[in-house]
Amino acid sequence: MNAQLHSQLQTQIRKLDSISTAPAILKPLLDMLHLPSDDIRVEKVVELVSYDGAIAAQCLRLANSPLFGRGKTETVRSAVMALGLERVRSMLLGLCINRVIPQDKWVIEPDAFWRHSLGCALVTQRMAQKIEYPEPETAYLAGLLHDLGFLVNSVLYTQEFRECLRRASEEHAPLHVIEEQVLGFSHCETGQMLCEHWGLSKSLANAAGCHHDVNLLPTAGPLACLVHLSDLLCRMRYLGYGYEEIMGVDLGGDAAWQALIGTYPALEKMDLVRFTLDIDGAMDQIVATVDSVFGAKRIAAPATT
Amino acid sequence: MPIEIANAKPAVSLESNPDDPAYLKIRDLIYGISGIYHSAEKLYLLISRCARRMSVLGAASAAEYLEHLTTRGNRATELRLLLNEITIGETYMFRHPAQLDAMRNVILPQILQLKDAIGLKRLRFWCAGCSTGEEPHTLAMFLLEEREKLLAGWTWDILASDLNDNSLQIARDGIYGEYALRNTSAPLRRKYFKDVGDKKLQANDLLKAQMRFDRINLSDDSKMVFQKGLDVIFCCNVLIYFDLASKRRVVHHFHANLLPGGYLFLGHAESLFQVDDSFRLIHFPGTTAYLKPTAAQGGGKK
Repeated sequence: MNAQLHSQLQTQIRKLDSISTAPAILKPLLDMLHLPSDDIRVEKVVELVSYDGAIAAQCLRLANSPLFGRGKTETVRSAVMALGLERVRSMLLGLCINRVIPQDKWVIEPDAFWRHSLGCALVTQRMAQKIEYPEPETAYLAGLLHDLGFLVNSVLYTQEFRECLRRASEEHAPLHVIEEQVLGFSHCETGQMLCEHWGLSKSLANAAGCHHDVNLLPTAGPLACLVHLSDLLCRMRYLGYGYEEIMGVDLGGDAAWQALIGTYPALEKMDLVRFTLDIDGAMDQIVATVDSVFGAKRIAAPATT
Repeated sequence: MPIEIANAKPAVSLESNPDDPAYLKIRDLIYGISGIYHSAEKLYLLISRCARRMSVLGAASAAEYLEHLTTRGNRATELRLLLNEITIGETYMFRHPAQLDAMRNVILPQILQLKDAIGLKRLRFWCAGCSTGEEPHTLAMFLLEEREKLLAGWTWDILASDLNDNSLQIARDGIYGEYALRNTSAPLRRKYFKDVGDKKLQANDLLKAQMRFDRINLSDDSKMVFQKGLDVIFCCNVLIYFDLASKRRVVHHFHANLLPGGYLFLGHAESLFQVDDSFRLIHFPGTTAYLKPTAAQGGGKK
């Protein structure tokens, strides 16, 4: 991308703040995302959840859903305990972002977006654990946030991005390839810029920025490589962008795989068929979570606080 | 040979404790021996299969049953019986549409391009361990449906083999009931089958002409070396019956049987991990297959 386009995009991303009204909890939440989960205090999370009535209600509803098979959960605190900090953290982010994007601006179906993002988060984390990457929590976040650029493109370039999705679905092609053709940039660049604008760590921003670029991946660091592989795997297990892509993926021969194997030899010991079956099992849970929390039609659109 | 992993929810209520760690050991044992892996979410299937064998043997706990599988004199027999339970159940045509989608969208276009370049207009398929023939019949219908589209100008043959004479006879007769045809659409039934009464349909001459049935023992090296020039081999849930050394030998043969750029399909829970590394695992939407890479596809390990 040339310097002029880059600075244009940066200006546009700054405008996002005025276009959409971020919920008040987004900033403290983003700060919290940087902490290892052991350092997150339950009280702090309960406070964030309680701050916003609509979010608290979602939290209670999920904790009471059959997915968790618990008894009646009536307080925010017990709901947070029932769901677990990690799930609450992802859910909060999801709900915040759902509000940042005005409802008429969603281009990719919100359900598909969240299934892909949460699926990718889970797969990235599990892969990180398999290869003994020291920060599986960060890997989870990198997976969760890797496609933030879709949201930027949805809000700032709604018509053009809609055309990208239409063409990609019609040609069964990877979306980033069509974005490059139509927009001259992809969700990778805009995602990285939004991560930077929100003050997220460099490695998270980098993972969002490089996750489709096979030329950059070998030097982009382990998080970007993990996200790249997880993204491909999710797309091959029906957790893509809501349309079918026609392709075959050789994960073991992928540049990211080769880059990782040097530093994380445990990757050699990973049976990908077995890993895929494990992921398939976990996906059912993800789909259920997305349906109960993020289901586009079921989300009330309360006034922002 | 039964070719599908039983996938029904258990009908029997289980007295066994699903949290018993012995089940995880049995799971790992089955995985090590057969390559069939039960993820945490599918463990209940394995438990229900064990429950049947446990009640036959009178084994009171998973730990006791594990002993039957590992230390007692009958362990080899018991393992085979458990594998039979795991893979029990009739199969049906068009059971794996994702495999056919991968064939139509990616695999065949790739192979056609490779063969076009050398002026070959013929394709060879092999269903190794075809059981009662549902798989080759599916493949034959799939190819016939593509003959005026993707495969216009191409010819093909399908070799379908099994070790079991009874299964082969059923496959040759091509007479199937409602269960086997449950996923076969009405237009395909009309086009490729005839009504033979008793709620059964028989493959018509056109469909039958697509397949050649033969009894082949996959462990018989002298027969295996003669299978040459194949484009795609289907061998679903057959290798689970082989020990590691035999499995390696069979897969090695498959590799030699395939042309560069050819593919091997295994059952969806089967893996060649630590069995063979000359193939490359390729993920397609909803399915996986093993590729024998051409030199241009980076043959050998990358």
